[in-house]
Amino acid sequence: MKRRDFLKYSAVGAAGLTIVGLPFTSEAASKTIRLTILHTNDQHSRIDPFPNDGRKYGGMGGMARRASLVEKIRKQEPNVLLLDSGDIWQGTPYFNFFNGELEYKLMSDMKYDAATLGNHDFDLGLEGLAKQLPLASFEFLNANYDFSKTILAGKFKPYKVFEKDGLKIGVFGLGIELEGLVGKKQFGETLYIDPVAKAQEMVTELRENQKCHMVVCLSHLGYSYETDKIDDRKLAAKVPGIDLILGGHTHTFMEQPEVLRHESGHETLINQVGWSGIYLGRIDFEFNKKTKQKTSIKTAALPVDNPVLTS
Amino acid sequence: MKHPIYSYITALLLAGSVVGCQPKVWQAQTPNLEQTDVAIDSTLTADPEAEAMIAPYRTQVSAKMNEVIGTAATELRKGDYESPLGNFVVDLMLAQTNKLVATPADMAQTTNGGLRVPLPAGPVNVGNVFELMPFENEVVILTLDGSTTKEMFDFAAKTGISPIANATYTVKDGAATDIKIGGKPLDLTRTYTVVTSDYIAGGGDNMTMFKKNLKTEKVGIMMRDMILKHIKELTANGKQLTADTKKRVAGVTQK
Repeated sequence: MKRRDFLKYSAVGAAGLTIVGLPFTSEAASKTIRLTILHTNDQHSRIDPFPNDGRKYGGMGGMARRASLVEKIRKQEPNVLLLDSGDIWQGTPYFNFFNGELEYKLMSDMKYDAATLGNHDFDLGLEGLAKQLPLASFEFLNANYDFSKTILAGKFKPYKVFEKDGLKIGVFGLGIELEGLVGKKQFGETLYIDPVAKAQEMVTELRENQKCHMVVCLSHLGYSYETDKIDDRKLAAKVPGIDLILGGHTHTFMEQPEVLRHESGHETLINQVGWSGIYLGRIDFEFNKKTKQKTSIKTAALPVDNPVLTS
Repeated sequence: MKHPIYSYITALLLAGSVVGCQPKVWQAQTPNLEQTDVAIDSTLTADPEAEAMIAPYRTQVSAKMNEVIGTAATELRKGDYESPLGNFVVDLMLAQTNKLVATPADMAQTTNGGLRVPLPAGPVNVGNVFELMPFENEVVILTLDGSTTKEMFDFAAKTGISPIANATYTVKDGAATDIKIGGKPLDLTRTYTVVTSDYIAGGGDNMTMFKKNLKTEKVGIMMRDMILKHIKELTANGKQLTADTKKRVAGVTQK
């Protein structure tokens, strides 16, 4: 292993240092469970790459390319979760002409495991959302919108538990306050509930009742505001017990996840990958097979044209 | 293979954990994770199955979107307070609206959040306008009393996200001073009319003061259609897309 490799792959919390894509030794493999979390946020109907006309991010993105990257990673990794943090819709003519159907079809084709709702996912009103939902093979998770007085009553679960090699990963979703961001005629009688209280409830449910080893929050609250408005950083501080917050809304390009540590020593990671599918977020976790304790966190770094970190 | 550096790293990280547990409730840690994003770029081959799914949709979209309707001398980008793109859009909103209504409106405004992408230098096609203004928003005229008008300027001064046509002001201590509308000082005793979108008129983008409007009138055209119409008119008159560059907002350093 070259020194450069070591520099590129630092770990959090404890042990474990490997190169993405290289097979584990059988000894290591028998003792660890490897989990790869892939994620997007604020895709904004960016089906095709941005035109390569000199604009910022020109030539980048593209859902068919993402599909091949995801497939490649699925072939390399035993346990993959593909997640999205909302605002799948709005931003290109594909959405204006086809009302979001192609976005859901492509995400289903990529086998997304779950998504949460962003404010722009309400742009076609509750009826528009209801119309396209049957095309999505993945769950939309939201814990803090009450749809019970709307036509979407019962359509969304607050959380879902995924099991990978005996490891239970609880994923729940949180949405931003709709008032002011979304027209009343679009969100109708959908009620917004305090995300902090709901997140606390979710952590308790997932950890104590569902016996999850890891808790992931799909958030469309936004990364950080200077005001009192709730954001991912405030959420991480106020609600202990979340392992990973995958954020959205603020279109924040984070070069690396932010790590926030509670008094208990528990760490919450926050990550967000800009917008429009310019990047795919990737975080690799390892867990001890017996104890299901996290032993390492590692993040794959580079564009896939240069996957091995040499030179 | 066991890396000799392995145990060293472990010890280092554990030591780091101990140091990190100061008697504070919590703290932001110096991030020690590497970059997590994998670029989706031309080094990746498009997945054939996904491509096949997209193809028929793309054909239909392309046919509509590739029609060139104008030319921009330079790229029009958005920015805080006043910007080429912000000025271009609010100015055309006011000009186009005033062609359609009996009583001309005083001002026009929008928010930067609604201007999704820049307009590129060179040929501008229908697709560029769709990307700039993807939302199905309608153009409306609001009638505001003097103090609500002042609140609109204060919001613009505080946030920098609201370009305004036919007005100037100075930002001072996070509020607007020396406000002039059509060159005349703001008169708190009278009403003003502002062209905006129905989305913002409903308090969108936190422009909650607009909910106090005295009257809302629909102009009867969508924002995007108005932009398309304006660009086509410029082209028909042999003009390129340009933004007014006269200073509108004083007291701030432009980024």
